[in-house]
Amino acid sequence: MPSLTKRLGDSASLLAPLFFAFLVWEAMSRLKLINPILLPPPSKALMCMYRLLIARTPDGHSILLMHIYHSFYRLLYGFFAAAVIGVALGLAMGMNKYVYGYFNPIISVMVPVPGITWAPILILWLGFGDPTIIAVAFIAAFFPIVYNTAAGARSISKELIWATQTMGANGRTIFFRVLLPWSAAYILTGLKLGLARSWRTLIAVEMIAATLWGLGYMIFDAREFLLTDVIYGGIILLAVIFFMIENVVIRAIEEKTIEKWGMKIEI
Amino acid sequence: MKFERRSVISILENVKKSLTEAFSFMLPLLSIVLIWQLIVELKIISPRLLPPPSEIAQTFLELSSQRTGGVPILLIHLYKSFIRIALGLSAAVLFGVTFGMLMGVNRVIYRMLQPIISFLIPIPTLAWVPILLIWTGIGDKTIIITVFLGAFFVIVYNTANGVRNVDRHLIWAAQIMGANKWTLFTKVLLPGSLVSVITGLRLAVGYSWRALVGAEMLAATAWGLGYMVFAARALMAVNVMFVGLILIMVTGFIMENCIMVPLQRRTIERWGMVREM
Repeated sequence: MPSLTKRLGDSASLLAPLFFAFLVWEAMSRLKLINPILLPPPSKALMCMYRLLIARTPDGHSILLMHIYHSFYRLLYGFFAAAVIGVALGLAMGMNKYVYGYFNPIISVMVPVPGITWAPILILWLGFGDPTIIAVAFIAAFFPIVYNTAAGARSISKELIWATQTMGANGRTIFFRVLLPWSAAYILTGLKLGLARSWRTLIAVEMIAATLWGLGYMIFDAREFLLTDVIYGGIILLAVIFFMIENVVIRAIEEKTIEKWGMKIEI
Repeated sequence: MKFERRSVISILENVKKSLTEAFSFMLPLLSIVLIWQLIVELKIISPRLLPPPSEIAQTFLELSSQRTGGVPILLIHLYKSFIRIALGLSAAVLFGVTFGMLMGVNRVIYRMLQPIISFLIPIPTLAWVPILLIWTGIGDKTIIITVFLGAFFVIVYNTANGVRNVDRHLIWAAQIMGANKWTLFTKVLLPGSLVSVITGLRLAVGYSWRALVGAEMLAATAWGLGYMVFAARALMAVNVMFVGLILIMVTGFIMENCIMVPLQRRTIERWGMVREM
């Protein structure tokens, strides 16, 4: 357990360069070395986020929180659907070679397709708004999840399964006690990758298909009015949000599951 | 040249094996196309929403025979996209590897830049597009810069980590034997970090490919695969959209499986640096 002072020192050495970079940016903009409309000072961008945070819609919600809320529930719907269906299909592919033989070519062809490519077609099918955005977020997360889960479930050694079989384990026990823990690390890698892809694609598709809310919509819409401080503030916000998701939420899940089981793959 | 009977047989066997593999790979894809055609034939889904594969093939042929200035339209779309990704990506490799190496060899530079890079990596690449549209306007510049940004940070990150993770003992050994800084860099640090650099490159190709298609939707003026799909929506040209989608699928598949995977395998395996997993 690192001591408190060491932790503080670590985060200070992490934050100092960032702070310095912001300072340089601030100075460049304030001294008008770069046109302050093109590059507004970060303090102004952050103030602008604060103003959006306290500004209210007619029915009393904070505008910034509404944007964040819309992006979040779209991400969660798309991602969770992808996680459930993707892990199920991936495990099925890992356990049965015919299922694998059939789906593997389809998945390999689909994995490199940028999720955003589906947006125009989905807009045609589902219209502008949530259904399209959630569907694209789903597609972006689905394929990496299936791919990694299948790879994990297939990597299990036959001997392990034989050993449990000789000791009298039935199919269910093998599934829950052998296959699932074995694949857990791969599944989690797939989920992490899927979440990151889903998030990136979500922001992009919000620029194309959102109607009123969402962080992607917020920054793209601000462009029309040359509100560069909203765009920069939004970009900073996007970085902070995903940094938090990755380093707080996902870290916690990893610590509770695969690290505890000693199954972490070192990459 | 002498052909031995055995080698001819083994070549034939290899051909047969790869043909069966190709066949078992294509079969599921063909079955999907068939089901798709059937769904439309049976009028389960309106062909205005989901055109049958036969019609898409027809549109594909039309687009590849229609010419502007003597060049088939599809080829121009492909060519434009290719140029953009090639320019953006090669700039990213050049600057990214240089930056990453600097960060890898110098601890002060690493301490200064690493937090900034980690802060910038999670930003979705396309979030830069609105800003770039204001800075550089609609067109090639914005798209190429987006591609660059998509690839740059992962390359820097992986290169820097690759150099930093080179085994200390190797460096000490080289130093004891009198290697100067330059030799140390070219003979130890550079080859030692290559696995990681190539991993970064492979990730970067994927990132910049995604960035390209998205940026072309938001910022292209007339050409490019992303633009093709996006513009077809406004005209309700569903067939064209699907042609574009399939082209993107095929291009992505070729890039990943015929370029990046063999590159990674060749270089890394040849130099005997396969990572134990």
